Amino acid sequence: MDLGFLAQFFVNGLVLGVIYALVAVGFTLFFGVLDVIKFSHGDVLMLGAFTALATYLGLSDIGVAPGVALILVFVAGIAGMAFVGAIVCKFLVLPLRGAPQLNTLLITLMFGTVIRESVRLFYPSGSNPKPFPKLLPDNAFEFGNLTLRLDSCIIVLLGILAIIFTQLFIQKTKFGLAIRAVAQDEETARLMGVNFKTVVLLTFALGSALAAVGGISTGLYYQEINFAMGLMLGLIGFSSAVLGGLGSLYGAIAGGFLFAALQTVGAVWFAVPAYKDVFAFAVVIMLMAWRPTGLLAERNEERV
Amino acid sequence: MTPLLKIENTVSGYDEADVLAGVSLDVAEREITCLLGANGAGKTTLIRTLLGLNPIRSGKVFFKTTEITGWPTHEIVRLGITCVPEGRRVFPAMTVLENLRMGGYLNESKSDISERLDYAFTIFPKLKERVGQLAGTMSGGEQAMLTIARGLMGNPELIIFDEPSLGLSPLFVKENFRVIQEINGQGISVLLVEQNVRQTLAISHVGHVLAQGKIITSGNTETLRESDALKAAYFGG
Ligand SMILES: Nc1ncnc2c1ncn2[C@@H]1O[C@H](COP(=O)(O)OP(=O)(O)O)[C@@H](O)[C@H]1O
Ligand SMILES: [Mg+2]
Repeated sequence: MDLGFLAQFFVNGLVLGVIYALVAVGFTLFFGVLDVIKFSHGDVLMLGAFTALATYLGLSDIGVAPGVALILVFVAGIAGMAFVGAIVCKFLVLPLRGAPQLNTLLITLMFGTVIRESVRLFYPSGSNPKPFPKLLPDNAFEFGNLTLRLDSCIIVLLGILAIIFTQLFIQKTKFGLAIRAVAQDEETARLMGVNFKTVVLLTFALGSALAAVGGISTGLYYQEINFAMGLMLGLIGFSSAVLGGLGSLYGAIAGGFLFAALQTVGAVWFAVPAYKDVFAFAVVIMLMAWRPTGLLAERNEERV
Repeated sequence: MTPLLKIENTVSGYDEADVLAGVSLDVAEREITCLLGANGAGKTTLIRTLLGLNPIRSGKVFFKTTEITGWPTHEIVRLGITCVPEGRRVFPAMTVLENLRMGGYLNESKSDISERLDYAFTIFPKLKERVGQLAGTMSGGEQAMLTIARGLMGNPELIIFDEPSLGLSPLFVKENFRVIQEINGQGISVLLVEQNVRQTLAISHVGHVLAQGKIITSGNTETLRESDALKAAYFGG
């Protein structure tokens, strides 16, 4: 096996890692502020990708330049899913506070199914995979037998920027301070004057917007999306967040990249790509049996 | 003169049971009003209820002339009420400075925040050396200082202390009472919940004694000191 071939796997793993990290950060944010698991997260990601696709089709009908379309596609997906995330929080998650957490898990699981089936039924021939437009420049650079595609680099860069933005928002702004306060001690945060509901809604909007970035990135990378894509990505994102220690921002990011690394190792090792998920999940199961609370077990000091 | 805080016939509790069976109490402006009572009397429940953390089952709460019954907590504290909650609840994963920033969350004036920060550091010089330390890694006494300093970062007209000296060493307790008196000297009204009868009465103007969810006696501190009801409240006489 030559080096260029391995490097290819490495780049592919980086792209996947960024996408998983984007999804996992959402899970960790929701858990941080409300101690809940929102299982519709993967389907929100899918809806973000379809929103972006529909926006693109509408824009290309009226002849908007691809560069402008790219930006508007992201804006539509991000804004749309931020809105959906806040709505889910307001009508499905917050009203269930006080009920067992399992109920929140179930209601969002069902809502995710509603989103998924609705896209399948109501999006024009929604049960078929949809080609996703090639909006990023696909120039390729050859280094020996490594081919580095510009679009992969841009996807990785965008994802990392989104994660850094989230991190800075949470660490440096007053609103981020309020998010952390709510995550650490909800009641005391309210005593300081924090409007708990507003903070929670905004956190859900933020996490869902990141899922949209992940969904659109997936579309741009594979140039194809389908109504069921959120199932696997949601599961992987959730596993990544748990692997890193649910509630920890760095843990979620690390977990996402770790999962992608496992898949990559699996794919290289078995030479049959189909085995990579079995391998990755099997390792994650073993890691979780070894460290039940995650590799970076949540200590209070680390919580978002 | 209208009291700063007026609590009328408040009933509240948990699940099925009422803990407060109709409590009425006033806090006058610029005074230290204390609320005494044994463990489990309902002191914390009363504080939580007036701040909107526990739902009020019946009764009314006024701040100055505004009725705040049933208001959400963040709207109540916006009026100028600060609470130093029971059990030294710092934000453990935040630094000392971030904890203080949280105390000034509603304070929109940057210059006022930095003035208050200086003031907090003059009262508690030790905190100044620790600005970058995570609050969760500090000792109990230091955390107690931090919650008080945090309470001063807003612009409170009324500060409510819920057992600030619970579990502290005698030296810290003494220091705490001195600080509370100093805060009151700045013109800030205080509602002080305590179990430490002697030292509390020594700095308070008026007091109320709560037992089993009812105010059993009230009055100025001289009369309270001699009161049999107070002794009964603590020693079950
Ligand atoms: N979260 C709670 N759930 C149920 N009962 C509670 C809760 N908190 C306090 N209580 C009960 O309410 C009563 C008054 O408690 P509390 O207000 O904390 O008293 P104090 O502050 O005077 O020690 C006690 O009997 C206590 O057991
Ligand atoms: Mg108490």
